[in-house]
Amino acid sequence: MTLRNDVSSDTAPAAPLDTSDDSSPSVTGGVPDPSAGVGDAPEPPDTTSDPVRGRMAWAAQTSIPGIVLRRVRDGVITLFLVIAVIFTLTDLVGDPALVYAPVDASAEEIARIERAFGLDRPFPERFVDYFTNIVQGDFGRSYWQNRPALDAVLEALPSTIMLTLAGIVGAALFGVGAGVLAGARPNSRFDKISNFFSVSALSVPNFWLGLLLIFVFAVRLGWFPTSGKFGWSSIVLPAVTIAIVHGGRIYLLVRSATVEEMSKPYVRVARSKGLSSNRVLRRHVLRNTGLTTATITGWEYVRMWGGAVFAIEYVFAWPGIGTLMINAADRQDFFVLQTAVIIAGAFVIVSNLVIDLMYRAIDRRIGAA
Amino acid sequence: MSLVIHRSGTVDRQRQPVARALSVVTSRLWWLCPAFLGLMALWAIFPDFFAPMEPGAMNPRHRLLGPFDTSPEGRHLAGTGTLGADLFSEMVAGARLTLFIAVVATAIGTVVGVLIGMLAGYFQGWVDRFLMRLTEAQTAMPMFLVAILLLSMLGPSVTILIIVLPALVWPIFARVVRAETMRVRESTYIEAAVATGCATPTVLVRHVLPNVTPRILVLVVIEVGHVMLAEAGLSFLGVGVQPPDTTWGLLISTGRPLLTVAWWLTILPGVLLGVTVLCLNLLARRFETRAGAAG
Repeated sequence: MTLRNDVSSDTAPAAPLDTSDDSSPSVTGGVPDPSAGVGDAPEPPDTTSDPVRGRMAWAAQTSIPGIVLRRVRDGVITLFLVIAVIFTLTDLVGDPALVYAPVDASAEEIARIERAFGLDRPFPERFVDYFTNIVQGDFGRSYWQNRPALDAVLEALPSTIMLTLAGIVGAALFGVGAGVLAGARPNSRFDKISNFFSVSALSVPNFWLGLLLIFVFAVRLGWFPTSGKFGWSSIVLPAVTIAIVHGGRIYLLVRSATVEEMSKPYVRVARSKGLSSNRVLRRHVLRNTGLTTATITGWEYVRMWGGAVFAIEYVFAWPGIGTLMINAADRQDFFVLQTAVIIAGAFVIVSNLVIDLMYRAIDRRIGAA
Repeated sequence: MSLVIHRSGTVDRQRQPVARALSVVTSRLWWLCPAFLGLMALWAIFPDFFAPMEPGAMNPRHRLLGPFDTSPEGRHLAGTGTLGADLFSEMVAGARLTLFIAVVATAIGTVVGVLIGMLAGYFQGWVDRFLMRLTEAQTAMPMFLVAILLLSMLGPSVTILIIVLPALVWPIFARVVRAETMRVRESTYIEAAVATGCATPTVLVRHVLPNVTPRILVLVVIEVGHVMLAEAGLSFLGVGVQPPDTTWGLLISTGRPLLTVAWWLTILPGVLLGVTVLCLNLLARRFETRAGAAG
């Protein structure tokens, strides 16, 4: 349990609760207000005193659609916050007019450009404008590619999703396999060696690991292409890079979950009954750690979108969001940068939601009674 | 535990000497980590003493020499670059900014995170809900991409990097410190402090903070490594540190186009960075297990 709480703060019953089904209008009803529903939702009386009873009480009070709706509403609020923060930050730090204007433009010319783009209007007005446009699918125009910024981002998105999925499958194979084996016999030689390797995998820069693999397997051995996206062989090296980095963390978490499970009394009972330890591992321990393992893998997938993938994409010239962003950064293409961050943020929020709901669906103790 | 899976007892007994030898080596050699980190700190403080040549000094006759080159031009421990600059000297020179950015950015992130975590954990209620919602929204954001966005708009510089990087670490501190504070505030000594009339800031600083510190320290060691890797990533992508300043991440970036002809320019700075972060991580693990064994 401690492990589970480390991985996801979301599963703890700290979120405000809606006991009624009134939460549905706030999902569909226009612009959600970030403050609404955070402060004024009623809380069940015993949540703070006893987490387990609080959790059960919450489960008893809510229907499954209610939980789903509340999670969706939370996701929408978070997405709104992400958009607001991105807009505010870009507004604070950059002036798009300066990019459009020639280098030697005078103050009047810049002012004229600002008027033409509506940049001279007050901040709230522009934000409402920006937000309504986004809701209608207009994220602005990329003047580098001379087409809607959203098109450029959506074109890159499938490549990134493909790479992250290939990476997480590899990471789960490495991490869960080695983690269970090492956790089943802590302090064995295998445990020590794989511990060291996983900590090393977490310590080296991921883009550098990609370069190392390119040097060994593409330049020296010539087994795989060095970069680009041509056929199945070009995904191998970037996916393996991701799998090593993220497999390291999955390994450490799965290992400690297995060690904890192996020290429980029922394992000793099963052993003293005369079950072989392999059988105990397969029949009992693996089944009990399965849910934790699935959650760890899910969170690791979300975590991947926080960074590692994008630098690796750039190293391998993989035509995904990361490569797009670096190219857009070189050309100061604000709308593409903004759009890419928002779309990636939306993807993270949706993945979070899906993982959370799947988790609840599998483990009925958590919520859906 | 005695629950070791083995097909036969003999196999297990045969393996034990190896495992024991390995554990002796790892437990006897742990001091190598702080020693290496200390050396890196010395590099950062006295680069002139450790660099055999002036970093970045061009020497056309010594171009692209490999590491341990034995030719008369040799004497370059880590080889040279396209213009004949000594890579080892450049790595020594890069230590200063690499460590400086990581330490300062982590320090800022720690202060912000600890403050938010303590406030949320101590006051609970709406303060807690507001601050934690903020933390959650931040974790949903792909921070690495946000950093690229901000740095490319502001123009990359060391100052901006030090402002942006703490955003990567404060949520972790906030979450851990909040949980620890919630545990600590239930203790009787906090109750006693409040009863004797301590003002809230005094309670937080004098009584809560010292009891939360052990967890923070372990986390700081890990996060310095994280920040170092993030800085290297941003510099590698061209939105971090800019020449003529140099960090290990930037050295990897400059070596990248020459990967096929001069592998050392890319691989060696990465090894240096990786070993440094590895030492930080191993040290943190040791602290953790020690603390766990003691308490």
